[in-house]
Amino acid sequence: MLDIAPAPVTAPPRARQRRRRRRRWSGLLYLAPALLLYTLFTVLPALHTAYLSFFNWDGVTLPSFAGLGNYRSVVADPELRAAAEHAGTLILFFSVLPIALGLVCAAIVARRRRRGLAVIRAVVFLPQVLPLVAVGIIWRWVYAEQGTVNQVLQAVGLGRWAQAWLGSFDWALVAVGVVGTWVVSGLCMVLFLSGTQRIDGEIYEASRVDGAGPVREFLSITVPLLRPEIAVALSITVIAALSSFDLVYITTGGGPGTTTVVPGILIYRLAFGGGAVGLASALAVVLTLVIFAVVLVITRLSRERP
Amino acid sequence: MSPLPRTPLSPIGRGFSRRALLSGLAAAGAVTVAGCSSLTPGSSAAGSTASAGPVSTAVPSDPVTLTVADADDTTMTQGLLDAFRAKYPNVTFKRQYTGWDDYLKSINLTMSAATPPDIAQFTPGMQNLVPGGLLLNADGYATAYGWSSKFPGLDQITFSPDGKTVGTGSLYGVPGGLSFEGVYYNKQKAARLGLTTPAKTVDELEAMFAKAKAAGELPLVVGNLDGGLNHPFNELLSVFLAPADREAWAFGHSGASIVLPGARTAAETIQRWVTKGYISSNVNGISDNDATAAFAKGQGVFRISGNWAAAAVGKGLGDNAGYFTMPQATADAKIHTTGAGVYYCVSAKTKSAAAAAAFLDFVGSADAAPLTAKAGFMAPKADAMPSQAGLFGSLLTGWQATVRDQGLEPFIQNASTPTMSDTLTNALQQLAGGKATVDQFLALLQADFDKYHQQ
Repeated sequence: MLDIAPAPVTAPPRARQRRRRRRRWSGLLYLAPALLLYTLFTVLPALHTAYLSFFNWDGVTLPSFAGLGNYRSVVADPELRAAAEHAGTLILFFSVLPIALGLVCAAIVARRRRRGLAVIRAVVFLPQVLPLVAVGIIWRWVYAEQGTVNQVLQAVGLGRWAQAWLGSFDWALVAVGVVGTWVVSGLCMVLFLSGTQRIDGEIYEASRVDGAGPVREFLSITVPLLRPEIAVALSITVIAALSSFDLVYITTGGGPGTTTVVPGILIYRLAFGGGAVGLASALAVVLTLVIFAVVLVITRLSRERP
Repeated sequence: MSPLPRTPLSPIGRGFSRRALLSGLAAAGAVTVAGCSSLTPGSSAAGSTASAGPVSTAVPSDPVTLTVADADDTTMTQGLLDAFRAKYPNVTFKRQYTGWDDYLKSINLTMSAATPPDIAQFTPGMQNLVPGGLLLNADGYATAYGWSSKFPGLDQITFSPDGKTVGTGSLYGVPGGLSFEGVYYNKQKAARLGLTTPAKTVDELEAMFAKAKAAGELPLVVGNLDGGLNHPFNELLSVFLAPADREAWAFGHSGASIVLPGARTAAETIQRWVTKGYISSNVNGISDNDATAAFAKGQGVFRISGNWAAAAVGKGLGDNAGYFTMPQATADAKIHTTGAGVYYCVSAKTKSAAAAAAFLDFVGSADAAPLTAKAGFMAPKADAMPSQAGLFGSLLTGWQATVRDQGLEPFIQNASTPTMSDTLTNALQQLAGGKATVDQFLALLQADFDKYHQQ
């Protein structure tokens, strides 16, 4: 395919040609280590997972070919539908809320440059640096019967609301979602802050001369001009919401009942506990395809119109 | 995703270096694929149940090295290995310790490898190795050594040829240290409330709960965030469900059911304890470990848990820590309680089955009992455990009585299906949260059972 590329109209001198050719190939050589690692540890395992999804396999004995049987089970599973709904709810907490918060903060900071921006950025970004397992354990304490949340509620006279939040059928999913918001908001904020620094300050000044207030500025300048950053933030956070596992696993393990079960938890249970590696693989493939589709839609929608 | 500027890779001719690079990549890929001998590694020796080699109780006298894989974070396994080696210096052990979670996830693959460990700690799920012929059928050694009279709880490691039914078929290992459940209580509070311990029946225990509740105390400390309510539930099953029915269900016998009057009574008891406030309404938000910690700090009056909690409870409550075996339905009933053990099994691929079997036999000996006890477990040879005072003394008395009554019954979540642990946690959370009736609760458990055993 590469060989039929059109030949240059005027052949360059031989020496230059050779040099250019070498440069082209040396480029690929630079890429090789990363490409090799990526192929070995990402592409091949992913293909292997897809391959396994066509078998009934308990992980030990000989597998038997299942065709599309595992995929039929995935579609028919009522527990999976509930898990998908929970993941959908988590998008609200992992994407919508953090992006809204991030935008408002970025707008406030962008209106007037303040000192100590680097400190604010570092503090806000901190949750992103912590391992999610540590985050989960910390929030388990925060939500516990005698935890921070309940202590605060009692202190302000709302003691009758105090409860073990992660054990509540009504609140567990919200509680997990709030942890997600806490983790992801910093990332969004930092993304948007760097985005606002790209926006020419004169645009704000011009709009102020035209009599625009802070709200008008936010809607007409900050949000439209941050569009590329919003697209990136949306992609990253939606992926985090749909593929969430560690946070849920550490805080509730899917409970109480099945109120916080997400697809990641189901895959883990099927593969490592339930001895259904094929079904788990099929579920993983479906989840990956769904995430691909969602991200594709986000990229399409956010592309700037010419 | 982001459109990269398109640069033609080779406008003129064939680049030698490109071919070299591609063939290099291809070779690397081929090596990787060849590296895993098959894309779906699995054992094909299905259905093989023959014991390996002739059975002998003689310990080989030539130098032998045995690899031991385990997830025992106490001093027991290392202590037993050292003691065995002191007795038979020609036997060397290579111990591979792995943390519990990782061990659970990896041991089946480890045992399917070309050179698996000779001896491994048995964990739930390893019965899947039985149909693959990867575990040594120990029936021959059991007869030769007389294990049935040396070890309690052997039915928990006895499997049918397809590995799906526990308690019937062939023996695949022995328990080293055992655990069993009972009732801890806070002596100081019990005295203040005027409770006469031990409770002789479940009704008596419940009356004590009522008294504690009336005095403003939390009667029973439970944490069900990760399913810890299963401890009281398993104990109540031991009391109310006939042992044969309990084992048929826990061991996955075909046609077994948990929708029985005994199990209903157990579930109704749990439900009543929650409704009456004997168990905290926040039970679903507290982890099992946190519940033990809270009880050890002085919260509540009673806690139903296993002997693994004794160290923490004893350390926290000191002389106020008390213990009695689970009370039964009537005062004169034999002891029935729930328990499990650290079991050792042997790989079918071992080259020194006789030495491995000798170690398994040693585990049940009087020499091993003090080592097992020191690590906090109950020893198979209960009467050889060193006598102790205080909380551990009460535990030892309870254990000896349990072995005498042959009252050790399996946790229902460990044996019946690979997913039962998650299902039981889910179902108990719904029962405690008032989201499931007793009927729905039992139906949830039975649905998981039927799904697995009808395959």
